[in-house]
Amino acid sequence: MLQQEVEITNKLGLHARASAKLTQAAGQFQSAIWITRNQRRVNAKSIMGVMMLAAAKGSIIRLEADGSDENAAMETMLALFDNKFGEGE
Amino acid sequence: MSFTLHGIGVSPGIAIGVARLASHSRIEVAHYVLSQQHLDKETARFDDAIATVRNEMETLRTQIPLNAPAELPAFLDMHLMILNDSMLSEVPKQLIRSQQCNAEWALTQQMEHLVAQFEEIEDVYLRERKTDVVQVVERVLKVLLGHPDNLPSTESNLADCILVAHDLSPADMIGFKRQQFAAFVTDVGGSTSHTAILARSLNISSVMALHNAHTLIRDNEIIIVDGEQGVVIVDPDDAELEEYQLRQHQWQIEHQKLKRLTTSRAATLDGVEIELHANIELPQDVLSVKESGATGIGLFRSEFLFMNRADLPTEEEQFEAYREVAAAMQGMPVTIRTLDVGADKPLGGLTQHTLNPALGRRAIRLCLAESALFHTQLRALLRASHYGKVKILIPMLSNLVELRLTYAAIERAKASLTADSIPFDSGVEVGGMIEIPAAALMAGAFAERLDFLSIGTNDLIQYTLAIDRADDGVAYLYDPTHPAVLQLISITLRAGEKAGKPVSVCGEMAGDPKLTRLLIGLGLRRFSMQPASLLSVKQQVLKTHIGNNVNMTQKILKASDAEKMEGFLIRLNQ
Repeated sequence: MLQQEVEITNKLGLHARASAKLTQAAGQFQSAIWITRNQRRVNAKSIMGVMMLAAAKGSIIRLEADGSDENAAMETMLALFDNKFGEGE
Repeated sequence: MSFTLHGIGVSPGIAIGVARLASHSRIEVAHYVLSQQHLDKETARFDDAIATVRNEMETLRTQIPLNAPAELPAFLDMHLMILNDSMLSEVPKQLIRSQQCNAEWALTQQMEHLVAQFEEIEDVYLRERKTDVVQVVERVLKVLLGHPDNLPSTESNLADCILVAHDLSPADMIGFKRQQFAAFVTDVGGSTSHTAILARSLNISSVMALHNAHTLIRDNEIIIVDGEQGVVIVDPDDAELEEYQLRQHQWQIEHQKLKRLTTSRAATLDGVEIELHANIELPQDVLSVKESGATGIGLFRSEFLFMNRADLPTEEEQFEAYREVAAAMQGMPVTIRTLDVGADKPLGGLTQHTLNPALGRRAIRLCLAESALFHTQLRALLRASHYGKVKILIPMLSNLVELRLTYAAIERAKASLTADSIPFDSGVEVGGMIEIPAAALMAGAFAERLDFLSIGTNDLIQYTLAIDRADDGVAYLYDPTHPAVLQLISITLRAGEKAGKPVSVCGEMAGDPKLTRLLIGLGLRRFSMQPASLLSVKQQVLKTHIGNNVNMTQKILKASDAEKMEGFLIRLNQ
């Protein structure tokens, strides 16, 4: 199992659109992917769960990936955060 | 008998038409206990219903008309994702097994559980997504219960029909022949709901949050919808009908007329040019600024960069935001106000909670105390000045010491950029907000030392009349035409004129067409307001003759009785 902490840097945080992108990306992998913020741990493949985190810019979340393709999954997830969900800011 | 319902007007316009009721979507769900051997069948029935709705929605997704608003596909995708979310498509099956209950009951239980969690979210937009969850669940429930569609079946002459629903989902909105309904009214929803956003982009008037319109209004009743006031009149009498037909006609004419004003020059009947600028909060607001025909940005509030986050924005991040707006305005002025937090706009970590925040360490006071923060912002602003006509606006000045310290900070920022060989406009204009009565009374001294002044009427009124804007108990005392307020505005305008420096008004007063003529009479030549108000104000400018209003304006300025002001204003605006 892999895990890593990430800071949310896009302006709107995990808003509806970013949550949708994240969920879609997570859904491509076999591995179980979890996101934790403030002790709340949700399935990254669940749009409602991700939105309920209400994670704003500047918040720190923990990513976990566990499964056969966990390396690729983690890499994809991190790239999304890094690229600010393609929002440019 | 005619009666009136009050809700929230989410999309303006007046519609008169025949009510078409969408079938009741608050579905009654019964609870059954099932025997063990029926549970497999029940979970399969649930899976089938989910699959049916998925098919329906995927089909709708391919039928989106080309002229549909750009948001629509995204809304539908969101609903599909909610449908496919295991919290909605899997958890109810566990409930069916653990509670031995029917699929409808399990799904409703899970929906209530999810909605309760959404309701705890502080962010208004994310919290509102509970509506999407309910709408998706209702589609599944309808399939489970065997009534597939909640839309009215008779679709003849929909142009005169007003859809009355408990709630409408974006999918519902494509399901019927769009753009043919004259208006939508719903029991639930609010101005940030997806349906409201769609109604606005379709230019269909709409009132929401009417609570029980769907139970009070009957099919085929005549109703009037006023999407601006948030009013629905059911079964109007002849007088009401006549009045609203007239208003509808006027609204349409006004709407058309206003739109035509977008590109016309703003000048009074006696040929005096009036500059109409826009206020913005976010870089993307530039779009609406351009649509409004504004000739510049009179107030770009920089607070958005600092709010809703734990850290401070970097110079690079700020520079990008300012540069984006400066470049997009293509040489038109972009007046950016330095950080104005404190009071009603607290900022985590920097602003302290005090008993009287409006009088505390805020705006320029905070910036001068936090010199690193101010230096970063000034560098970002100066760097952006290389890419457009950026002007710097300093909020809440109260004395000349603050002004001297501010200039020193600007010089430091310029020197550091020069040392780093980073380009900026060395002649960038610096202006000050006049919002403290002390500053208005000595506006002459500020006008001499600054390139321009901008009157922030919201704060000026609050400080002059000693009322807390956020306190409902004294809200009735908030009076923009209080004689003392008008005199302070007049003093500031005259000081600007004497020093040969432009003065603008950027508070709410600038966007109120009822005050346009008065402000012009007092000598104002530059207004800055919400883009949405700009055309109404421009229309007022075009009808104003300054020469003819001199006497009435003087009378208003000399008036000491606030009660007489309303009468004077009506006469001035005739």
